[in-house]
Amino acid sequence: MPAPSAPSGFLPEPASLPAPGSAERWPWLQALGRQKPLRLEPWLRALEHGELEPQSDLLAVLADQLDADATLRLLRLWMRNPERSPSLPHRVGHVRDNAIAELLIAALADGSDALLEPAWRPLLLPLLGHQRRAGDFQVLRRLALEPGPLQLRLSALEGLSLGLSAWPLTELRNTLMTLATDLDPRLAAAAVDALARLPRARSLLIQLRRSALDASVAERLERRLRALPAHPLLLVVHGRADGVIPPLIRSLAAELERRRGAPVALRALTDPEPLSSLPMRESLALVPLFLLPGGHVRHDLQGIAAELRCRGSVRLLPFLGSWPLFQRVLAQEVEREGADGAVPRLLHHRVDGPLPERYLALLERVTGAPCLPTPESPADLAQLAGAHRGRLIPLTLGPSRLSDALIPIIGADAAAPLLARPPIWTMVLQALEELP
Amino acid sequence: MTKVELAKSSFCGLDLASRLDELGRTGWETLDEATLTIHLKWLGIFFRPVTPGRFMVRLRLPNGVLTADQLELLAEVVDRCGEHGSADVTTRQNLQLRGLLLEDMAPLMAALERVGLTSRQSGHDNPRNITGNPLAGIDPEEWVDTRPLIEAIQAVLLGPEGPRNLPRKFNVAVGGAPDSFLLHNDLAYLPSLREGELGFTVMVGGFFSAQRNELAIPLGLWLRAEQLPLFTLAVLRHYEHCGDRSSRQRSRLMYLIEALGLDGYRDAVLETYRSLGGDLAEGIPHDGSHLVTRAPRDVCGQHPQKQPGLCWVGLNIPMGRLDSTAMFALADLARDYGSGELRFSESQNVLIVNVPIERAAALRAEPLTLRFPSAPGPLLAEAISCTGNHYCGLAQIPTKSTALAVVEALEQRLEIPHPVRNHWTGCPNACGQPYMGEIGLMGAKARKDGQMVEAVKIFLGGSMSAEPQLALLHNKAVPLSDLTDVLETLLVERFGASRRPASE
Repeated sequence: MPAPSAPSGFLPEPASLPAPGSAERWPWLQALGRQKPLRLEPWLRALEHGELEPQSDLLAVLADQLDADATLRLLRLWMRNPERSPSLPHRVGHVRDNAIAELLIAALADGSDALLEPAWRPLLLPLLGHQRRAGDFQVLRRLALEPGPLQLRLSALEGLSLGLSAWPLTELRNTLMTLATDLDPRLAAAAVDALARLPRARSLLIQLRRSALDASVAERLERRLRALPAHPLLLVVHGRADGVIPPLIRSLAAELERRRGAPVALRALTDPEPLSSLPMRESLALVPLFLLPGGHVRHDLQGIAAELRCRGSVRLLPFLGSWPLFQRVLAQEVEREGADGAVPRLLHHRVDGPLPERYLALLERVTGAPCLPTPESPADLAQLAGAHRGRLIPLTLGPSRLSDALIPIIGADAAAPLLARPPIWTMVLQALEELP
Repeated sequence: MTKVELAKSSFCGLDLASRLDELGRTGWETLDEATLTIHLKWLGIFFRPVTPGRFMVRLRLPNGVLTADQLELLAEVVDRCGEHGSADVTTRQNLQLRGLLLEDMAPLMAALERVGLTSRQSGHDNPRNITGNPLAGIDPEEWVDTRPLIEAIQAVLLGPEGPRNLPRKFNVAVGGAPDSFLLHNDLAYLPSLREGELGFTVMVGGFFSAQRNELAIPLGLWLRAEQLPLFTLAVLRHYEHCGDRSSRQRSRLMYLIEALGLDGYRDAVLETYRSLGGDLAEGIPHDGSHLVTRAPRDVCGQHPQKQPGLCWVGLNIPMGRLDSTAMFALADLARDYGSGELRFSESQNVLIVNVPIERAAALRAEPLTLRFPSAPGPLLAEAISCTGNHYCGLAQIPTKSTALAVVEALEQRLEIPHPVRNHWTGCPNACGQPYMGEIGLMGAKARKDGQMVEAVKIFLGGSMSAEPQLALLHNKAVPLSDLTDVLETLLVERFGASRRPASE
């Protein structure tokens, strides 16, 4: 049986509203909802004067037509009413307006003149997030992070989630990373879900994976990671004669592939096989595992990228030596080697041109270690080693002619290439693991 | 022009697709209300006033078919919404996902496309998900496999010639079995024999609303299967051009049919059909007789397919509500026991198909069946519910939770000899189709002990048999606190139920 339609002579006024429970009320409210624009003032006044109860069916109809001023009045009315319904804020709070956000902020304030008892505040925090004002980030952040009632913290985090793209990204990342390790798994789980929506989410989640997490949160994190599959990587190295790649670098690639769950290919510049022999994916990231911006980086890699782009999407990353993280870890290695006061030297392949020179100057500043070109003859190399009490660090990622030449002079341990040094191995592996 | 028509005519919501990524990254603060609440629905994205900032996405699942891989993707989407995430199986064999942020939309739309899904034009004034026989292709009783027909119709409607601005929503369905009750659709094709040839008779004008409820009537045309896509396009094109846009309460197809008269309407649609290149040279007039002879089967439980050695296992999803854990588990079951395909029924249940008969018992013993039983009680099996007031501002009661609690209590109290179709809806808009239930329940308010309380109106007598009829009002408003007792009496007096002995 169809519901009766609105009575003829329908007057959209509060006094005409059929009482709750009346058969006429629904069609009457539907007819009211069709009055567009509806004159809200009589309705707001009737609610404010207690002539009408803020019944949910009436609010559902009014909500569709509320402007900022009307929303403010209804929220203020709700805050004043000691018998307030918890459903009202969400029913009327979808309008986005600065004045509404200000009222919400005021209602969250403590003090003797507080607008609202603390127990009701969790209802307002999602609405504040929905307002998406960058300036409110600190309020939500503080309430989410500070010790307090769980419901308040969860609501603050929901507010952060609802405004996700409105907040300062770096601070948001840091906040969510902290919350994701919270002892309460509900809070941590919601933070993981929010993190998974941020730019570079994969990197953030992999970093988070190294933290101690509640088991359920760790499982959730893995589910989020599965939905953010890693791109295939192509690691390009110089290689030795005939394209031979040292086992150290091969083991790095193998471990990386295991951790990323995505293909990781290796290619040496010295490889005589044509590039077309490389299995190409729909898209891949090309990672130059080079430490100096020499001719290989400036020319050869561009050529490889251009050729591969004919077969798919290729993202060429900066060469490894330019990564600030690499430079910082190298600086730590220099500091460790020079712990007794003798500053080591960074021994590099000979390079020409202003760009490599500027890069080496930068590396000297960052690490505090002078960079020296490798002498051509073994005798000159031995003399150099002697001049610096053997404190030479070969600026080569894997075993190479440079590190080979140093071994008889300063010993295998001291001449170890950078990847053979655990902090650098760990850094390179983790940084590559975090790539999209 | 109404406010809605004005908004629709300003630009097509589909144009927002290219902006979703930007909106997610830079924020959607600048979107006006019309864009947020109207245009986004062309992409299947629903702003929900009751959960501001948490959006809903309604998919399109033609014939209710999806794969385990697709369901797993959707499970991940719901899972990342945490406590806010859920999915509802709808009465149009569809899924709608809840709790999403607008930031989720661009990656979701790309992911849907990758796995062959879409949410396009699933809301507002668009042709909604096309329904068909949930057992299509596996049904020993079917007359015709509805899946390819529905796929073809959807391809035409979403294609470049399809409608983009209808006066109102539009429901299309294709029947393929003796129990394909589809008369609640604006346009329904029912299997029909004409001179020994199997085709479809065309039924038009069915709809339910707060103002009026109608079952579809015969248009007097008979079509071959290959004609359905173009004819559907013709009906939609004509409706798009000629439907009433002055009042949203009088804009469903039936009003247009009444305005033109059935003969005039048929002539006008045929003219449009011919203008699109359709051929109706011979034998199209028809008396509307068809091969749909009984109410829809209960799809739950184990049933043999027409393929020897295979069966389907239907699981009851209480009130159609899914969470991510259940979605992941269903995808696993479909892969482990079946062919990786699942079906949703209009009764909001799920079918795992192509299960080797010898493995069905193991499937029915899986832990998930404790939540989603393959042999639900006679009320639960046939319970259908709208969303309810947790997500819908119009609903007057929490429909799903109320329905579940009442049904469970009644099944404990009563021995009920046969399934009883019970349809629950939160308001007179009748999304839960209360008029189709043997028992229909509609959210209301009533006064009890001087207090205004949540209540339901009770309707009785709906039938989807060969002689369909809509349920009629039986009881104006029963407070929810009294409902179980009232229904218990009704089931005993009218549906042959008997009371179980009270346990000590």
